[in-house]
Amino acid sequence: MGVTTVDEVAFDVERGKILEFARATLAEDPVHTDPRAARAAGFEDVPATPTHVVVAGHHRDQRGFVDKLGLAYERVVVGSVTWTYLRPVLAGDHLTGVRRVVDDVRKKSLRIVTLETEYTDQHGEVAVRVREALIERGAQS
Amino acid sequence: MRTPVAVQAGQQLPAREVGPVTQTHIVRFAGAGGDFNPLHHDPDFAAKAGFPGVLAMGQMHAGMLASWLSDWAGVEHLREFEVRFVAPVFLGDVLRFSGEVAAVEDGVAELTLAAVRGEEPVIRARARIVTS
Repeated sequence: MGVTTVDEVAFDVERGKILEFARATLAEDPVHTDPRAARAAGFEDVPATPTHVVVAGHHRDQRGFVDKLGLAYERVVVGSVTWTYLRPVLAGDHLTGVRRVVDDVRKKSLRIVTLETEYTDQHGEVAVRVREALIERGAQS
Repeated sequence: MRTPVAVQAGQQLPAREVGPVTQTHIVRFAGAGGDFNPLHHDPDFAAKAGFPGVLAMGQMHAGMLASWLSDWAGVEHLREFEVRFVAPVFLGDVLRFSGEVAAVEDGVAELTLAAVRGEEPVIRARARIVTS
């Protein structure tokens, strides 16, 4: 199967968005919301919470990519997500994420499409890799 | 950098209880993450899709589970975090996050994590963290 690029996003990692996302996920570690706590803990700037790159949702066409993959929007659920961390994402980073299809299989009435996004920083280094398995249920007869 | 937590195989992580899940949790996460699928805020739309009510986006409680983990382990010590969504989460649900150290090898701990509603799992997860 050929590698297919699904979409590409680019965004700045900002303290305000880190704080919003930390609150929305009930994070209690002050390093995500207080620059002094972050520096005291050894970070150059405020670190994002572990699943912060979900904010890429603001920059994506959530319905468009499902259509592009030929999936039925109303029958698709996310089965699993795996985050691999090469370094913490920090405020001030500029990330570019290219999302590609890495697997596309059928199991009985299910189609399972696995997507991988590598979030590359301003230095060209990968900071976080995200794999998500989308499951499309078969149409009800 | 902060000192990684010291752990042993079989050790339990300090549990966290979240909820009851409200519409405010969901819209706050929608605004933070950018998921504006009406299934998560429009009760009529959710009913037409066959659900008893609006449901939380999986990334909401996955993110809460991840933040609970990093509050304990330190975000800089996470190497991998994986969630499998087992059941949808609805308004009023109370979730309990728990975890156990499955193994420790070469300074890396393998963790088995779960989010449960009562006795029923909604997320099964695993993680790898640096340990001291």
